[in-house]
Amino acid sequence: MSITAIPERPGRSPKRKRSEDSPNGGIPQYDGATDGAALQYAYDEEMPSELQSPEEQELDGAPAKKQKVERPTRLNYVPYMTLRGHKRGVAAVKFSPDGRWIASCSADATIKIWDSKTGALAHTLEGHLAGISTIAWSPDSKVLASGSDDKIIRLWDISTGKCTAAPLIGHHNYVYSLAFSPKGNMLVSGSYDEAVFLWDVRTARIMRSLPAHSDPVSGVDFVRDGTLVASCSSDGLIRIWDTSTGQCLKTLVHEDNAPVTSVRFSPNGRFVLAATLDSCVRLWNYVEGRVVKTYQGHKNEKFSISTAFGTYGVEDDKPAEVDGDEEEQKRDWAFAACGSEDGRTVLWDVSSKEILQELKGHDGVVLSVDVGLEDQTIITCGNDKTIKMWKRQPLPVTNGTNGTNGTNGNHEPSATEPTAGTLDEG
Amino acid sequence: MNLPLTDPTLLAQDIPESLTARLRSSGQAVCIRFSHAGDLLASGTAKGTIAIFDLETNGVARKLKGHTAGRTVQSLSWERSGRYLLSSSIDWKVILWDLKDGSRVRVVSLGAPVYIAELHPRNHLQCVAALYEYRPVLADLSDSKVKQYALPNLPKRAPHEMDANPEKADAKHFTTVAAFTPTGSHVITGTTKGWLNVISTTTRETIYSTRLCSKPILLIRLSTSGRDLLVNASDTIIRTIKLPDLSSPNLQPDSIRLDVEHKFQDVVNRLSWNHVAFSSSADYVMASTLMNHDIYIWERGHGSLVKILEGPKEELGAVEWHPTRPFVAATGVESGRVYLWSINTPQRWSALAPDFAEVEENVEYIEKEDEFDIHPVEELKQRRLDQEDEEVDVLTVDDEQLEREGARGGKGGDFRMPVLLDVGESDSEDEIVAIGTGQFRRKSTAQDDSEFMDGDEDVNGHVEESNGHAGSKRRRGD
Repeated sequence: MSITAIPERPGRSPKRKRSEDSPNGGIPQYDGATDGAALQYAYDEEMPSELQSPEEQELDGAPAKKQKVERPTRLNYVPYMTLRGHKRGVAAVKFSPDGRWIASCSADATIKIWDSKTGALAHTLEGHLAGISTIAWSPDSKVLASGSDDKIIRLWDISTGKCTAAPLIGHHNYVYSLAFSPKGNMLVSGSYDEAVFLWDVRTARIMRSLPAHSDPVSGVDFVRDGTLVASCSSDGLIRIWDTSTGQCLKTLVHEDNAPVTSVRFSPNGRFVLAATLDSCVRLWNYVEGRVVKTYQGHKNEKFSISTAFGTYGVEDDKPAEVDGDEEEQKRDWAFAACGSEDGRTVLWDVSSKEILQELKGHDGVVLSVDVGLEDQTIITCGNDKTIKMWKRQPLPVTNGTNGTNGTNGNHEPSATEPTAGTLDEG
Repeated sequence: MNLPLTDPTLLAQDIPESLTARLRSSGQAVCIRFSHAGDLLASGTAKGTIAIFDLETNGVARKLKGHTAGRTVQSLSWERSGRYLLSSSIDWKVILWDLKDGSRVRVVSLGAPVYIAELHPRNHLQCVAALYEYRPVLADLSDSKVKQYALPNLPKRAPHEMDANPEKADAKHFTTVAAFTPTGSHVITGTTKGWLNVISTTTRETIYSTRLCSKPILLIRLSTSGRDLLVNASDTIIRTIKLPDLSSPNLQPDSIRLDVEHKFQDVVNRLSWNHVAFSSSADYVMASTLMNHDIYIWERGHGSLVKILEGPKEELGAVEWHPTRPFVAATGVESGRVYLWSINTPQRWSALAPDFAEVEENVEYIEKEDEFDIHPVEELKQRRLDQEDEEVDVLTVDDEQLEREGARGGKGGDFRMPVLLDVGESDSEDEIVAIGTGQFRRKSTAQDDSEFMDGDEDVNGHVEESNGHAGSKRRRGD
């Protein structure tokens, strides 16, 4: 355990930074208004067609795989809203499990709770004494946990915006990553002090300390039934732990040993998705201990950037021509999302590794991404102090009229709005 | 989801090995019960309070107060989804709790101290209770005005079995224990004179009776399949009995025969048994012993003693076996603590690095032909990427897993115990308090549990009081 009194970041893991100031100065040059008034959200004006790289447009014509219902080879998430108000870089952003709220945390030591429908600021949670790297929602969406560089984990009651009485104290260094168990009774935390702690949420006590890593722990997650915990570290290891016994069940290492900056279980719990500082996101079959997919195309060499899973199906407005085969029609595919240090957010199809879309809009590093609201909305945040919401829209028609309906769809959540274009015709 | 990574030899173990944990005290526990999903343990105390323990954190998830303070909780019974809990006490009351908010759905006074009360397995608004020196009661809780139906005490006897003086013989004949069959079609009761009665819940008449011994029956338990019956009687013999399918529509009451399959007893020491329970699969029977610190486990196939679980240095009261795992909980009679036995899970060193393997003996390493061939790095990387061509499904959860995750699969709603952040810091006798960053001190025991009204003082007095009510039975955990 390294207990250091030096208020600098330990030099041990210099490769990683998170929620740092954006380069243009640390002094918040915000318009002096109170937090409520500082909220300025705007509808972005970009046209969705501008978002597509030429490469994607090529893909559009490519035949999809041999499936009864063709998998869309592109997605069309368009900028919908920008939430402003944080005074420094935004480290993490998360939808509440019930989809009602968005929580964001920032290097300015505050957490902001936004209404996910309107983008209105509901609460600004203040109490931490240093920047906040990580937040986690309890499964009932009533409590938010936050981990800060002041070494403390706090629990916040969302209905009141107040901190609960007992903070979780025990880490010797910056708290870097948090996750709630599926029942909400346990919290796992990873810290710069190289330990992973399991907390009893009710009593705010450490249940178990896992002697996890030999470098700062950058990511933790619970599997869907709560029996496993994953942790990752800049020592390049991903470890899988048994929650009930606290024992390590598996260790995953890629041979390049690149620092791992985030880890999360797949929705079905059979894989883990890990981002590493060699600009790769890897999907591991953790039982067999091998990489099954490597996703590339983004830039990630310095920052802890989190990943997210989402699903996509055939667009709703697609004519019900395949009526006969209901089940096949309802099939969903999965995508993985990760931010990039060049301001993009990249969405990959999980199986084919194809890039489905690149969301462009942030200045500088995109630090966190989350998918919510029935996978129709993506939120991203970054060092440019903003949070952006993206809504899924039907793909614009590519032959003939150049996707004007996409522009109209920009201003309201009209994912169900019928449009003329379908993929087949493209 | 940890099963694929768990050592198969651990999974093959089906009985616990050693004492592994002690639950932080929440009063003098006298009866305990696992929820059907096995993630919660309810404990009732000698002081009338009930605590629900979360077995993932070993902490108190909820405290329930409603029985008369100072009166022992006699029994607990869970509804399938884990949302409702029925408790009974010698204060005459039976309370149905809603664990969602800790409220009392029904409070019923049955007019006599309750020995045991059990919820109908499929309808949480119906329960059966055995009362002290009264007839057992079948209560319908569906309306706030609770309907109570008395069940017969007396066994069904053929005319020639009748005593010459029935009034006199039957005067002191009472029911001590009652249990539902898994479908709830029948209630099986045990009496002070060693009779077992099978009572139909629809007609409320005894359809079959048999006499096991001349001493009172202390406890009746059914296996989850409903085909095995476990009976503890005060003649120091535990009996297992095969049951016919009582829910079968063409059941002929006259054709029922209850034959004792095994008798478990300690013929040398003549130990008598405080409390008995089936294992999750009913392959094993376990019992806590009077004036002894051990838990005995018998295997039912041959009827042999397979394990004596050594416990803490005190006599054990109620014992319970986890509904799915090799995991046993028992209460200490003197301290009222809840002890947990489980299997040992040593750290496997091979898990700590991907290229570690555990070997029984030295293995001679044979170098592969191409092991030290040098390939260009880029080529290797590309080849590896090209190999990643399988279809992966990160979304679909297999049915087996859904089943394991329990309630959501359809076993009865998707109740989830709310997590209370203010359940009270007063629930522990050796609480560690954080007093600064990374600094802890032991909380003084003086302020311990004042709010929850427990502690070790005058505990014995209460135990004796409950014994007085229980008559010849020294202690009833359930």
